[in-house]
Amino acid sequence: MDSKAPGEVPADIGEEIGGPGRAYFDDVVIDNILDALLELSAAVWTYHDRVNVLESVLAQQGIEVSDAIEAHLPDEAEIARRAQERSALVDRVFGSFLRRPTPRMNLAGQTNANGDEA
Amino acid sequence: MNRGSIGITPRPTRLADESYLEFITSFRRLAIQEMFPKVAEHGEAALAQAIEAGEVEPPAEGKSLDLAQIQRVFARNPVTPTFQRFVRTQQEMMWRRTRESFFQDADGLMAAMAHAEEQHPERIHIDPDFVEPEYTRCEIHCQPGGYTDDPIGGIVYHYGTKVFYEGFNDQDELHIELAQKATKPADRQIERVLDIGCSVGQATTVLKDLYPQAEVWGLDVGKPMVRYAHARAVDLGKEVHFKQALAEDTGYPDANFDMVLSYILFHEVPVAKMKDIIAETYRVLRPGGVFSIYEFPSNDKGQVSASNQFLIDYDSRNNCEPYSPAFVAADFRGIIEQAGFIVEDGPLLTNPFLQSIIARKPQ
Repeated sequence: MDSKAPGEVPADIGEEIGGPGRAYFDDVVIDNILDALLELSAAVWTYHDRVNVLESVLAQQGIEVSDAIEAHLPDEAEIARRAQERSALVDRVFGSFLRRPTPRMNLAGQTNANGDEA
Repeated sequence: MNRGSIGITPRPTRLADESYLEFITSFRRLAIQEMFPKVAEHGEAALAQAIEAGEVEPPAEGKSLDLAQIQRVFARNPVTPTFQRFVRTQQEMMWRRTRESFFQDADGLMAAMAHAEEQHPERIHIDPDFVEPEYTRCEIHCQPGGYTDDPIGGIVYHYGTKVFYEGFNDQDELHIELAQKATKPADRQIERVLDIGCSVGQATTVLKDLYPQAEVWGLDVGKPMVRYAHARAVDLGKEVHFKQALAEDTGYPDANFDMVLSYILFHEVPVAKMKDIIAETYRVLRPGGVFSIYEFPSNDKGQVSASNQFLIDYDSRNNCEPYSPAFVAADFRGIIEQAGFIVEDGPLLTNPFLQSIIARKPQ
């Protein structure tokens, strides 16, 4: 680890969780799919939880929104914003395919589950 | 944004972080509590069959099965790498998001620790010339920056371990058990108590609750841990001292403490350092003082199951626990006795994986 100046809080830190990471299957695509599955599941829950909170907050204020949500049509700005958020979700969910894009036999220094050099 | 706390546990700075990390908690519970027992059961059965078929050599009396054989047989089950993938990924997701969330309030967190130090400078003891030895600077459990190198590592550790404990330690329930079960000296004279390797001081503050008249100290090598522990104790209204130092070179006078407690410290240090820490603890305990130790299993003479050997080895390689396999194999009890202690079994813990040892310094 690099030395940091006293009191400095670096934005990016952590060698263990950085880089191409570990692979546990001979076919690294399986590792990538399972990573994607976890990120996707976490994202689904996170968004669902936010809707839970949103509906609770609105209900506390006496606002019924279900019908209005179904009838809502976005303007151009909202469409662009939502597209950007959707792309960010795709990047997060499928990021593992970019992180380990090739079979591990082609990745120098890659280790398998036993810590052996592949 | 500071969103307050969940009882005495800090809350992530954004709702999205909290929801994400709560998902990780639920997933971790499934992987560890439900998935691993199935991997273990399948692996133990497959090993028994392999031994019966003469494919794997049975262990000699008092010896463990060869780890490479265990790994080979366990790996035949495709669920094994799935479990390994899931556990590693959830750990990475947990640290990445926990760190990212609290970094949003980095300035506020640093200011809060500085404010606590202005309020009670007499309770925090940091030598500005102290340099953490390289062996302490591992990113243990994959925590970004480890215990030593991330200035906001204390709160990151606190919330990260909330996820690790799957929500069962949100109000320090585990640390309350550890402190309550710490053994008192026979003469019940308790003036000073030490929690070595205290991290964020969860057991330390409970020890103060239990022994309000005593001077209670928490000691850790990580400055971010010590600073956060101090700020947390000030916030909780607990008069506790925290010191950054090596457990093998504490700087306390001889015979200074009546009780010492350590929780899962020794498997995080090399065996040579473990010996030095035990000798140092013997030195700082007064005659008749008691050292309560809660730790990974050790003295493996075949009593550690194949599945636990597999898990410990996996954990060592994949969860940045570089020193734990050597600890598990070491004669930990013998080393404690060689230092001069009288060793006994300690009280049983709720977590049956951990061993509990009482080490008494003779009168």
